[in-house]
This record gives sequence, C-alpha cells and structure tokens, in this order.
Amino acid sequence: MASDDQPQILAFVCNWCAYAGADLAGVSRIQYPTGVRLIRLMCTGRVNHGFLLKAFLKGADGLLVSG
Amino acid sequence: MDPLKHLTQKQIDYCMECGLCTGSCPVSRELSNFSPRQMIKQVLLDLESDLMNGREIWACLSCAACSERCPVEIDFPEFISARRQQARDAGNVPQESHHGVLQTIAGLQTREVNQQRTYWAREAGVFADTGDVFYFVGCLPFFDVTFRYLNLSPLDTARSVLTLLNKMGVEPVISDHERCCGHDALWCGDHSTFRRLAELNLEVIRSSGAKTVVFSCPEGYVTFKKYYPQHVGELPFEVLHMTEFLSRELPNAGVSFQSSSNRTVTYHDPCRLGRLAGVYDPPRQLLESLPDTVLVEMERNRQYALCCGTSAWMECSSCSKAIQVERIEEAGQTGAQTLITACPKCQIHLSCARSAMDSDIEIIDLYAYLAMRLTTE
Repeated sequence: MASDDQPQILAFVCNWCAYAGADLAGVSRIQYPTGVRLIRLMCTGRVNHGFLLKAFLKGADGLLVSG
Repeated sequence: MDPLKHLTQKQIDYCMECGLCTGSCPVSRELSNFSPRQMIKQVLLDLESDLMNGREIWACLSCAACSERCPVEIDFPEFISARRQQARDAGNVPQESHHGVLQTIAGLQTREVNQQRTYWAREAGVFADTGDVFYFVGCLPFFDVTFRYLNLSPLDTARSVLTLLNKMGVEPVISDHERCCGHDALWCGDHSTFRRLAELNLEVIRSSGAKTVVFSCPEGYVTFKKYYPQHVGELPFEVLHMTEFLSRELPNAGVSFQSSSNRTVTYHDPCRLGRLAGVYDPPRQLLESLPDTVLVEMERNRQYALCCGTSAWMECSSCSKAIQVERIEEAGQTGAQTLITACPKCQIHLSCARSAMDSDIEIIDLYAYLAMRLTTE
C-alpha cells in the first residue's frame, strides 16, 4: 500500500495504447509512484462521468484517463 | 426494536387484503409481478426474505397512490422505506439511473467539499448570507449540468424564484454550504448518508439565523417537514413550500402579472407535494391569480394524480416511460397548451418522455411560468 501522504491516483487506461505504454514502462524498469492504480479498459470510450465521480467518492485524490 | 419498524409491523396487521393498493398502483399496471398487496402479505406470512431479495422492493415509486385509498390507512411508502435499508444492508441494491452520478454527488456532499452553489444567483438577483428567510435551492445546480441533453435548464426555476422573491422585497439567504436534502438517499435505503446530510443542512441553516426556510422543490420540502423530525428531531425553524409562501405573500406584495398567449394550462401534482405533504391548493391559487389564465384539470388530479414514473434516480424502465407517456397524453386531452409542473424531477421525467412523443404540449416549471408572466416595466 502507498503511504498516507502520497496522493492516490486512479488511472483508467486503454488496453491498446496507455496500458501498453505502462507495460513498456514496467519492462523498461522505469519507476512510477506507487499511489497510482491502473484500471485497464478495452477502450476509454467505456468511461462515463459516473465512474469519475465514484472514484472521488471512494477516496481517489486524482484521476487520469488515458487512451 | 426499531420503533418505526414496530409501528409499520403493527399497522400492516390491519390489512384486509382488499387489493385496492394493487388496483391503484401505476407500477402494477405495467409490471404484472409487482403487487403492494402481495408484498404486505409476504411480510405478514414471515416470507420477508423474498421481499428483501427481490427487485420489487426497488420498483415502488413511493407515490402513495395506494395508501391514499387504503381503507385501513397503511402507509405503504413508509413500509417500503423501512425495508429498503435492510435490503441494502443485505446487499440488494437499486439500479441507479444516469450512471449513479446523482447518488454519488449526494455521497460527496457528506464530506468537507467546496461547492459553488450560488454562482447563478449572483447574476439572477440579490441574496444574503444571513437573514430571516432561507431559500433552500436543493439539487438544481447539479441537475442543470446533468440534464443539458434534454435542452432543460433546471436552474431557471431557482432564477425565477429569486426574481419573484426580490420583486416582493425579500432578499433570501442562499448558501454555498447547503447540502442535498437526502431525499434520494432515504428512498434508496441509505439512511447513514441521509442522516449525515440532514445534520450538515441543519448546521448551515442554524448559522444563517433563518426563522423560515422556503423550498421550491417538493422533495426537499417533504423531507424537511416529515422526515427530518423523524430522524434528527424537531426543527428550530418554520418549513414552507414556495407555493404556500407565494400564495400567502404575493397578493399583498404589489407584484402584477400580464396576460400571455399560452393561457390554457393544466397542473401536474407532484406526489411529494400532493399526497405526501397535502399541498394541493396554493399552486392552483397562484395559477388562477394570473390574468386571463384558464386552469383545466386532468382527469386524475389532486390526490388521484398520476406519478411522473420514477423516483430517487433509480430503476428507470419501460414501466416509467409507459407511465410518463400516459400522463402526457392525459394532459394533452385537456386541450391545454401548457403543462405546469412544480417539481424539477417531474419536469425532467416528463420532458424526457415527451422528447420521444408526438405531442405539442409545452412543459414549463411553475416558477418559470410565473416569472415569465411578470409585468415588464
């Protein structure tokens, strides 16, 4: 778990680009903050405003939608 | 034992199984497996788990058409409300409409949040931070963003109310710190969110020093009037619906109205304002006080009015649409050019159904209609 002082960022990522990018970052051993959590989607078109608000309700400090 | 549950349990013992409830229920006409009578019977026969696990518990509109006619006065909405919390605790949750955003927005308001609830009012009129009269705007700023796709601006209601109040010489308190009244949380069985919202609202109103709180939204009104005292104790201020306030104060306020081209109107009673709060006459008095205006009644009016088909932003279905279409057709049959609603949700639901219908009737909010008819200098 991330420490309390680290912001919790929820990232909605597209399987075909942003997720592949995150994967490549992992393979290349590039570090990113542990407070970031990825949710992989087949397309970021799946994201609606309900998801975004609910993430804040569940305690996210910030959101990233990438695709 | 929870006193509310005890009361309801005792009360449903009186059921004589006459079936008037199911016969009066607008949902039962569309969903054949939905029956208030059967639900009461399930509980009396200790088959409560069937009720708790089924979808029917969420299908009730809590419109009170059944309890209005019940010969032994069983309060069916109360019966449902008490059990919805248990159903939710057991993991049976409603299907939320609009991706659940409106429930989420209410949930976020239980926290420390910086809201910009008064941005519209700075352009629309004059208001204050403290004073005798508090205007509880409710969810209108959030609806305004959510329902743009229907070409509606629910904030017009709030702007019109502020215009009318200012014309009467009233500068109400409007607060950025106001919270959702908790109506939807209550009817979705989420009592902890409801209580938290109620406590926060009472704090905001107390700090404004208001003696009277007025509501343009029937849901906020009935929630404060009926459900806040039940859950958080007696309120230290007077609760008034805007139609009550206007019909009492407008005649002596020196405000005049002009005639208009759309003069024949019909009025849709919201279930929260009508059957749940018993306010039938003030909105009618307001409409009748306008010059050259004819108010025609729909076949089902006052305590027999049909619900707008959905409540608490959940379980919107083909059943809701069928009820809405039925209501718009009924309004059309009166020959009126305009259907007046006094509840933002009725306006949203009926406008949504009308957008897919071949109907010429205009759906206008009561306060927007009054403000439109104000005499221009």
